[in-house]
Amino acid sequence: MKRTLKAAIAAIGLAVSATAGMAADWTPPGPIKLMIAFRAGGGADTQARLIAEALEEKMGWKFIPEQVTGKGGLNMANTLKGQPNDGTAIGLAVTETFGYNMAAANAGMSPEDFTGLTTTAGFQMGIVAPSGKGWSSFEDMIAAAKGGQDIRFGVMSPKLADLAYLLGKAQGVDFNIVQVKGGKAVMNGVTAGDLDVGFMAGIQAKGVASGDLVNLASGLSQPLVQTPDAPTMADLGVDFDSDGYFVFVGPAGMPDDARKALSEAIAAVVSDESSKAGGLVKKAFGGSATIMGNDLTQLMSDDYSNAGTLMDAASE
Amino acid sequence: MGTLDYIWLGILAVFQGPELFSIFGLPISVTLVMILFGFLTGIAVGATPGLAGPIAMAIALPILISIFGYTPDALLPVMGFLIGVMKGATIGGAVPAILFNTPGTPDAYMTTLDGYPMTQKGQARKALRVAHFASASGDTFSDIVLIICAPFLALLVEAYLDFPEKTALLILSLSFIGAVIGGSPAKGVLSTGLGLLAVYIGTGEDFYPRMSMGSDQLNQGFPIATSVLGVLIIGAVFKEMTDLWHQRRSSGTRPSFQDEGNQRLSRAEIGRLLPFVGRSALIGTAIGALPGIGSTLAATLGYTVGRARHARTKAEGAPDFGDGAPEGIAATEAANSSVSGANLIPVLSLGIPGNAAAVFLILAAESIGGFNPGPSVFRFTQDVVNPELVIAFGLFTAMFIANALNWTIGGLFMRSTGIMVRIPKHILLPTVLLLTLTAIYVQEARIEAIWFALGFGALGYVMRLLAISPLPFVIAFILGGKLEESARQAFAATGGDAWFLFGSPISILFIAASVAIILFSARRKKQEL
Amino acid sequence: MRHSNGNLILGAATIAFAILVIFIWIPLDTQTGLIEKVRRQVTIGDALAPTIAASFLAIGGLMLVLFERNADDQPKVSPQDVLFGLALIASIIISILVMRYAGPATVGLWNLLSGSEAEYRLLRDTAPWKYIGFLLGGTVMITMLVSLVEGRLRVKTLMIAFISVSVMAAIYDLPFDDLLLPPNGDV
Repeated sequence: MKRTLKAAIAAIGLAVSATAGMAADWTPPGPIKLMIAFRAGGGADTQARLIAEALEEKMGWKFIPEQVTGKGGLNMANTLKGQPNDGTAIGLAVTETFGYNMAAANAGMSPEDFTGLTTTAGFQMGIVAPSGKGWSSFEDMIAAAKGGQDIRFGVMSPKLADLAYLLGKAQGVDFNIVQVKGGKAVMNGVTAGDLDVGFMAGIQAKGVASGDLVNLASGLSQPLVQTPDAPTMADLGVDFDSDGYFVFVGPAGMPDDARKALSEAIAAVVSDESSKAGGLVKKAFGGSATIMGNDLTQLMSDDYSNAGTLMDAASE
Repeated sequence: MGTLDYIWLGILAVFQGPELFSIFGLPISVTLVMILFGFLTGIAVGATPGLAGPIAMAIALPILISIFGYTPDALLPVMGFLIGVMKGATIGGAVPAILFNTPGTPDAYMTTLDGYPMTQKGQARKALRVAHFASASGDTFSDIVLIICAPFLALLVEAYLDFPEKTALLILSLSFIGAVIGGSPAKGVLSTGLGLLAVYIGTGEDFYPRMSMGSDQLNQGFPIATSVLGVLIIGAVFKEMTDLWHQRRSSGTRPSFQDEGNQRLSRAEIGRLLPFVGRSALIGTAIGALPGIGSTLAATLGYTVGRARHARTKAEGAPDFGDGAPEGIAATEAANSSVSGANLIPVLSLGIPGNAAAVFLILAAESIGGFNPGPSVFRFTQDVVNPELVIAFGLFTAMFIANALNWTIGGLFMRSTGIMVRIPKHILLPTVLLLTLTAIYVQEARIEAIWFALGFGALGYVMRLLAISPLPFVIAFILGGKLEESARQAFAATGGDAWFLFGSPISILFIAASVAIILFSARRKKQEL
Repeated sequence: MRHSNGNLILGAATIAFAILVIFIWIPLDTQTGLIEKVRRQVTIGDALAPTIAASFLAIGGLMLVLFERNADDQPKVSPQDVLFGLALIASIIISILVMRYAGPATVGLWNLLSGSEAEYRLLRDTAPWKYIGFLLGGTVMITMLVSLVEGRLRVKTLMIAFISVSVMAAIYDLPFDDLLLPPNGDV
């Protein structure tokens, strides 16, 4: 009943937009499988599901969301690679999946096996400590480490582990780098005292605002919006950064009309802050950032080729 | 945000959640309705031989998740339903045990000993009243203990246990569960090993999915639903069908008995039952708080202790245990019902499930996301609301609502479910099987999930034929990932110390205790022979 | 009294399996060893956890052989039970294959008859195509299982099976937009 109704509404919607001369020239030939590379229930997963919901309503397309998690998004990439490229299978991951992770895994996949659709938002990646530690700046932490204190540095991906290592090396200290599953786990570890400091990609915002947590440094090439005075990676002597985005992709060789229709539709939803999806992106990730087309292809291939340099540096 | 604020928020989360409808302007939240549905479903499946709470939970979970979605708002309605099923099934299990001498759930076996003789004497309804009174009392008592203990235990763990100690605690729990569940410590440990092995296939940190023999289907490992439902439910269905096949010719008509005399419970009778209920509730709660020791042992112990007391104190001419003594039913039902609340202590405070119902609560939390049972739940943050803590208190509220339902309408509904026993089991079981497979498929959306589940079902069947308890397998499967993760973290946090398990007195104590439990239980088993 | 030697056999088999896992399966089929140096960091490798799992198996097997060899609660596995279990599983495998391929086969047949070029993958969310596999496969499954237990095939069973499968399809499919009945999630 509900379904028939929806179909009817969609049909009417299509008819109306067609007569208004606004018809998209592409419609998916069947239901679109949406593979989500993140655990159910988190911000990233909710983002994907809300975007799908909004597109179903707005475009009359049918989405089937599905979790394909694990191995830093590579499981999703590996499954997506073999799917038909007619726009009926897309996935959401982070750019790190197609850059560092793909290069590090050395698993016979490269960004060329995929069609980048659009990014949705970037990360406000900070290096965060609990205020209870008494460190008000990055230097305070380094001083503590040099004073003989073991510092446990929480990270949620191998790339961040490398960055933490380089950070320690540049500052002349040795961190105990602990990799945990997801930013939430870093935050839990830091607040519980199991970790001393860690990378957090935006979930620290509330804690920093209330004064429980401190952004000691920015993990990005740019200063953090919330704590503009904190030093960037370059300020701390590291030539690499953790800049990254959520990104929608499809299998390689997707026809241009499908690619264009999908990426523009997604970008329109996340940029609209009055929509549920756009609102979430604004609240959780500080606003949308939509890179698409050739810019995205370039970004993904640069990330991939630069990953080797970072790994070499971290191996020394 | 003080403790009381959190309790209040939890209560509000249940009552003021998304509104379903309103009666006379009073909004009724969807969580309340789900608890009621779950409770009634639970009584019905508990009263149906061949079905049990876990089966209803398994089939309902994907449907509920599709209704409520993958948002934190879904947690309370879905888990409220599961809690309702858990509580309903506990009292429902006594119905066929008393009326037809067939326990509806395994832990109701001891109930048949006095319940059926009472039915034969024409006191069926009275027996059901005794069972309901004892069960509801035990359950409520157990919940109170849970609510008082879980937060403190969690705070203690969080304050004193670091990564290495958490790893050691997981090892201790696994050894304990393996050594204690089922009749044979050796088979328990074997079952634990199989569960660990299964969860480690296809997972791991490396890009190559370990031990996957090169197959692409295994690159995410076995989904948790396939192994849990496969071993626990599909395996049980296979076994039940085999048993049915054996006895298909020996079915007869059921004898029926007329009720005679007063079927109500008088104040004096309740007074006589209370000491039995009290003791059994204490026994059941203490046993329930330890992960893995099921309600069957609690029922047995409660019954044995009750029998000893009854032999000393019974009035002249009153029936002995086994001859239709209401005290026997009370002792059993209070014990097995008081396990369920206490069993959630290790789940909520440590993330370690102790029985099948707890396994499904964890499964629900994992599938929906936004709530990770474990010590981090009970963080009483001051400035920012800790949403997981609100959910935890919401769950406690849900348990008390279910208890209130139990006391008010539970008895009435329970006495009307005698009819469930007439459902033909050999048609019901294949239907349950297909429902379970469908439930797994709609959640995983790939055909391999069905093959995996079938494989685990076959494993569960073989384990049952060999009298290996499947519960340690399932618990090990759930804890295996955590064990590896925390070991990796402990190793990294100690700067690569291979002896991290022996770095602090607490973790040395935990490790020594795990070795001691296995050795002790193995030796005791040998001496029994 | 002579005890069955079931536990002894089970224990020995378990130990043998554990040894096989530790010394052959794990080394051949994992990428990293027990402890690895990845770039500059020493970490726990992928082989450690399964090795511990297999050690649990070995300990369990040893305990069976050493302590419970003569236990009196040893189960007797009758070949009948094993055969019946195999029959159950075989019926389910057949029904799932029917479930998986009935839809695409019907579409193929339809294409042959009408000369169209429909693709099941694109029709998997469209009635009536999406119900074909589940209804057919499900009915076959319940009918076969019930008949196995009853020891005879009855038309009544077939009808009951079809009705309960239809109800099931309605429960999962009608109210929910996002749920796909098997096998439609991944064709």
